Amino acid sequence: MNFRAAILAMVITGTVVAQEPTFEAGVDRNPAGVGEQLTLSFTLANAGVGGGKNLRLPDLSRFHILAGPNQSSSMQFINGAVASSITYSYVLQPKEVGKVTIGSASIEAGGKKLESQPVNLEIVRASSAPKQQAQTPEEVAGKLADKILLKVLLDRTRVLQGEQINVTFKIYTLVSIVDFTLKKAPNYTGFWVEDLDAPKGQTVEVVDGKRYRTGVIKKVALFPTQSGTLEISPMELVTVVQVQSPRSLDPFDAFFRDPFGRNVNYEVRSDPVRIKVDPLPGDAPADFKGAVGQFAMSTSIDKKATRTNEPVGIKVAVSGTGNIKLLEAPAVEFPLDFEQYSPKVSDNISRSGDRIAGSKTFEFLVLPRYPGLKVIKPITFSYFDLGKREYVRLRSPQLEVNVEQGAATPGPLIAGTTREDVRLLSEDIRFIKIGMPSFTRAGDRLWTSAAFLGLLFLPVVALLGTFAYVRRQRANAQDEVGYRNRRAIGVAQKGLKQAEYLLKEKGAKGTPSTAQRTRFYSEVSRALWKYLGDKLNIPQAEFSVERAIAVLTGRSIDNGLLRALKLLLETCDMARFAPTSMDIGAMQKTYDEAKRIIVELERTLK
Amino acid sequence: MTLKNFILALLLCGGALDAAAQSPELLYQQANGLYQAGKIAEARDLYESIASNGYESGDLLYNLGNAHYRLGDLGRAILNFERARRIMPADDDLRHNLQLANLRVVDRIEPTPRLFLWDWWDGIKGAFSAQSALWFSFALFVLLASALMTMMLIRAYVVRKSALIAGVVTALLLAFSLVLTFQKIADDGRRDEAVVVASITTIKNSPDGHSTDAFVLHAGVKVRVIDSVNDWIQIRLADGKVGWMERGAAETI
Repeated sequence: MNFRAAILAMVITGTVVAQEPTFEAGVDRNPAGVGEQLTLSFTLANAGVGGGKNLRLPDLSRFHILAGPNQSSSMQFINGAVASSITYSYVLQPKEVGKVTIGSASIEAGGKKLESQPVNLEIVRASSAPKQQAQTPEEVAGKLADKILLKVLLDRTRVLQGEQINVTFKIYTLVSIVDFTLKKAPNYTGFWVEDLDAPKGQTVEVVDGKRYRTGVIKKVALFPTQSGTLEISPMELVTVVQVQSPRSLDPFDAFFRDPFGRNVNYEVRSDPVRIKVDPLPGDAPADFKGAVGQFAMSTSIDKKATRTNEPVGIKVAVSGTGNIKLLEAPAVEFPLDFEQYSPKVSDNISRSGDRIAGSKTFEFLVLPRYPGLKVIKPITFSYFDLGKREYVRLRSPQLEVNVEQGAATPGPLIAGTTREDVRLLSEDIRFIKIGMPSFTRAGDRLWTSAAFLGLLFLPVVALLGTFAYVRRQRANAQDEVGYRNRRAIGVAQKGLKQAEYLLKEKGAKGTPSTAQRTRFYSEVSRALWKYLGDKLNIPQAEFSVERAIAVLTGRSIDNGLLRALKLLLETCDMARFAPTSMDIGAMQKTYDEAKRIIVELERTLK
Repeated sequence: MTLKNFILALLLCGGALDAAAQSPELLYQQANGLYQAGKIAEARDLYESIASNGYESGDLLYNLGNAHYRLGDLGRAILNFERARRIMPADDDLRHNLQLANLRVVDRIEPTPRLFLWDWWDGIKGAFSAQSALWFSFALFVLLASALMTMMLIRAYVVRKSALIAGVVTALLLAFSLVLTFQKIADDGRRDEAVVVASITTIKNSPDGHSTDAFVLHAGVKVRVIDSVNDWIQIRLADGKVGWMERGAAETI
């Protein structure tokens, strides 16, 4: 009816161009039958922002008020102006036949008191009333409001993280529900949800003195996975309700109508519920991975002896009550040379009782790569025991497997490590060094120690010493022979020059004196001796003409030259010791001969 | 064994107080005894005290590294093994333990590829300590000097020719050895290599606690320190990643 009133209101507001507030009354049918329903509505239009207040109803004592006031409002834009209206409607049921005048209602709006016009209504007998109209969903909703309830029942409202909490969605009804469909499932954010078997069938419960028939729609076990206040959003359900229609005397109507009434859809929703989740105590063991409840663990190995590269299965089964499905695989410390694969996990959960129970099995498959007796350290599993309110640590016995060398088939290895690495990892560090080391002061370095730098100079000094020594030796040895050899001609020429000077000197004075002659010949002789001594490397002290001739003969000197040299030396000796018959011509000849012989020897003895 | 340990323990009770005054040799023996008796933590403290008294030895650092390793302090184990490596790089036990310890480091850092010659060079460097390289160079120097002296002193042709060849070869070897030696001496003095000792540390993008995280390192990773600002050091990893780390999270080798 509200819907209709709203249209009416719209029609009214549409015609009212003026912005003055108006207040009008109307009924949806006239005449109306006794026992039938009619809607009386008052429409306040253009009331402005404040709306209306202090609605005062006329006398309605000749009616049953079935519902109301229902308030609805509408707003429209017409030619740029806002037209708004508020409708207050009442569902009435006339009590007796006759003409009834519904008096004026009043309301205050925009500071003025408005009054509606009276409505004249004719009430007739129901039989003569127009055909009963179908009831609208709104009507049904109004009627069913307290007759169908959807409740959320919790077995506890404060739990520990990981502790089970059972949630039951239960429907309570006073009418007959033919069917229902889930419109919106509740949202269990922060929980792990496990469906429980809902008890079938109906029961009767008395709530507020009314006997409701009840049925469980859904039952779930929730395990909070986080702490804090968690909310379960409402469940929305569309029920199909069978309602009894008012009787009608129309035979056709009766014929076609469902004798059991008709079906109406009705939506129910539950209230949101909050659950307070407390965190677990902080003193959790290192291997605790969130298991809460009561568990037992069993471990088994499928073989006691195997060969390398042949798989071994290790089974770890955890069973009990609690958040089974959330259990994580316990860490198993396999020998490092075992190649391992991620475990195969299977679980078996029983939903029949109120508590989630069951078992979870982890099957580890490993490939031993190296032979030997391999030990798998005890496997531990920790959980929080809800009964004892403390952490419990389960510990399996140590598992052993004897691995023999099998056929060598190199297999893939753990990513990022080489085969050698794996072998190395299975070893231990080498033992400490027991022998006494030589300690040095920190910061002392060989290259900064004076002793070492001194030592560094030793070879340098030795090298320099050797160099100096060799140099001196060579100077001694070489100068004795080679130096004299090279110098010989110079020395000889110097001697001859002296002789030549003497020759020229006496030439100037005519005949040379005996002393002058003796000096000339001794000078020539000395030059020759010195030359031969130097050239032939004969020490001055050992020099004699015979020795010089002998050495020269050994050096294959021309015989003629030797004879000339011998003659010259003898001439010089004779002139020195018997200086009688030597004139200037002979001296010149001797000088020339000496010069010629030296040149000749120099050429030959090169 | 147990009697020996007992005596050692007695010795220690009296000796712990004036540990600093005792000779490093005695302390070292005591620490080894404790280690063998399974009192690793006490042994470690004693080794530490020898080192902090200013005594240095490859064996000492090696044993200290072993103690840290046994106690699960991977970062300091690697730190001390690396320090020992500078003194005795060719030690077989040390190589084994360092390799094993490095394998246990959580972070796998792949060094950026480089010219194979550098790997060879590092291999040669790894076979010598600075001191042994210096002795080697010195020996070559003595050889070279001997060859030169032989050439100067002996005039026989065959001897001079052999000495010349020997001298040239020695000179080439010496040149190489000197490069190696100076490199090793420079390496010995360098203070830019460090090992992460914090069990886990976050590397930031800038030297500031509020800076964004770059990556995470675990104990035992060897890093190169390239800069420092206040309490932060800038580090570079072998794979080229760069970031800032709190100074206390790593210790210089």
